[in-house]
Amino acid sequence: MLSIFLWMNNVLTAIRRRAALLLVALLCWGVLPAVAAQQPPQEQPKKFDEYVPASQLPPAEQIPAARLVVGAYSFVIVVVFLYMVSVARRLNTVQHEVARLEADVKRTGRS
Amino acid sequence: MWLILRKDLTVEVRSGEVAYTTLFFAVSCVLIFAFALVRDGRAPEDGAAGLLWIAIAFAGTLALGRTFERERQSETLRALLMAPTARPAVYLGKLLGIVALLAGVEVILVPLVALLFNANALLEHPAWLAAILIAGTVGFAAVGTLFAAMLIRARSRDVLLPVLLYPVIVPVMIAAVRGTAVLLQPEVDTQVAWFWLALLATFDVVFVTLALWTFEPVMTD
Amino acid sequence: MPKWFQPAAIVCALMFAATPIVIANAPFESTMGLVFKIFFYHMPSAWMFLLGGILCGIASLRYLINGAARHDRTAFAAAELTVLFGLLTLVTGPLWARKAWGTWWVWDVRVTASLVSWMIAVAYLILRRYGGPGSEKLAAGLALFGMANVPFIYVSVNYWRTIHPATSVVPTLPVSMGGPLWFCVASFLMLFILLFTMRVRLEEQRARLDAVYLSLDE
Repeated sequence: MLSIFLWMNNVLTAIRRRAALLLVALLCWGVLPAVAAQQPPQEQPKKFDEYVPASQLPPAEQIPAARLVVGAYSFVIVVVFLYMVSVARRLNTVQHEVARLEADVKRTGRS
Repeated sequence: MWLILRKDLTVEVRSGEVAYTTLFFAVSCVLIFAFALVRDGRAPEDGAAGLLWIAIAFAGTLALGRTFERERQSETLRALLMAPTARPAVYLGKLLGIVALLAGVEVILVPLVALLFNANALLEHPAWLAAILIAGTVGFAAVGTLFAAMLIRARSRDVLLPVLLYPVIVPVMIAAVRGTAVLLQPEVDTQVAWFWLALLATFDVVFVTLALWTFEPVMTD
Repeated sequence: MPKWFQPAAIVCALMFAATPIVIANAPFESTMGLVFKIFFYHMPSAWMFLLGGILCGIASLRYLINGAARHDRTAFAAAELTVLFGLLTLVTGPLWARKAWGTWWVWDVRVTASLVSWMIAVAYLILRRYGGPGSEKLAAGLALFGMANVPFIYVSVNYWRTIHPATSVVPTLPVSMGGPLWFCVASFLMLFILLFTMRVRLEEQRARLDAVYLSLDE
């Protein structure tokens, strides 16, 4: 019984720790794409100047790529994070239930 | 197997419940498409092939649902499964029943589509058309019969059947629609038609075999 | 949870935190520019999507053969991950295509085949959720059919496309991208394994809960 609670406590702290780590990772992500986004524009105009002026490019080429990249990355992270939270929550509920019921069974078994 | 087929056909001929409702539903489908797509008296090019198959798929789903609902209400499927016949025979009998029913619907549906959608070319190659229709219908029914039989005990089976069935029959739909569309061209490209027919036939063989094998473990409690 | 879970989770989180740095340092793809960076997340997701699908199919087949509930739980967990990674793949793909091909959606073979397979995986989950008791075997049958269907989808979509004019060109990958890309694949694989362990664990606990309820009834 006690061991179950201890173990559950472990799981809970593990989940919290993971959440904290993920938050740190999220922060990293917030900063890094921004940094990455700043680098390429310096390269791109140079490259394009040699061939075609930017204004003459087809419209598809003019879409800012940085927004798409950041969007893609944040989508992946948000979805994975939400899924993790959802599984962890479901797992916790079920484990609580199991612990409660097993305690009940023990009590009724003794009396 | 033949007994099951005969039993289903007898019941059908006597009451005609499923056959008439399915047929009427298919015809209304075609009419709705006609109202949605025909503009200024002109049908969209190439539309007839897609439309014919959409109507067949919708009507087929309805027929599958109804046939097995009837079995469920009278608990006859359980009796059938308990009978000393092999399970695969039960499946094959049901499959042939559905194919026969849909073939009957198609006999009326094809001229109707040809008439309403200006696609007389559809009737100029009866052998090709029949081959593609049969191969496509068998493919559709092979998957549909198994899923409908499995769903007989599930909750909300009416909704679940199309949800499960349609993604799986995407290849059948593509092959059948494209194959039929080839026939609508002024000059039929036999090579392309052969390709689609071969694809449909392969699909039929693979999925009928697979369904025969799956039917046994799935239908056992 | 097995003993290796916690350290593995920490390593995985660290690896994921490192991926942006690795990706940012990866050589700059000259023809596609910055948008190519999406690829580092897109391709690993696609692989995990495939892995989930294969796992689910094999587990379903084994479940149909010997009927052990363990295989069914594996299949369910794998199906949910297939849907998750499939979603990631199908969303990051168009974001990349918007820039690289100029449109959000292209009826390319791989794209279309992935979409259809993803739909089958979603149908599997819907069946498990709303099918009521006895839907396990049904779902296994569906997974089996879905797996057998993949080559058909691929061939049919391929010919359906090539009869129409083909517009898309899938770029070949330069070799120098390999290192960072493999790092991302490793991170995603680890994430997959961790999520999979959690998910299977959840199913096991649910089975245990059912068992306790049954014993209470007696």
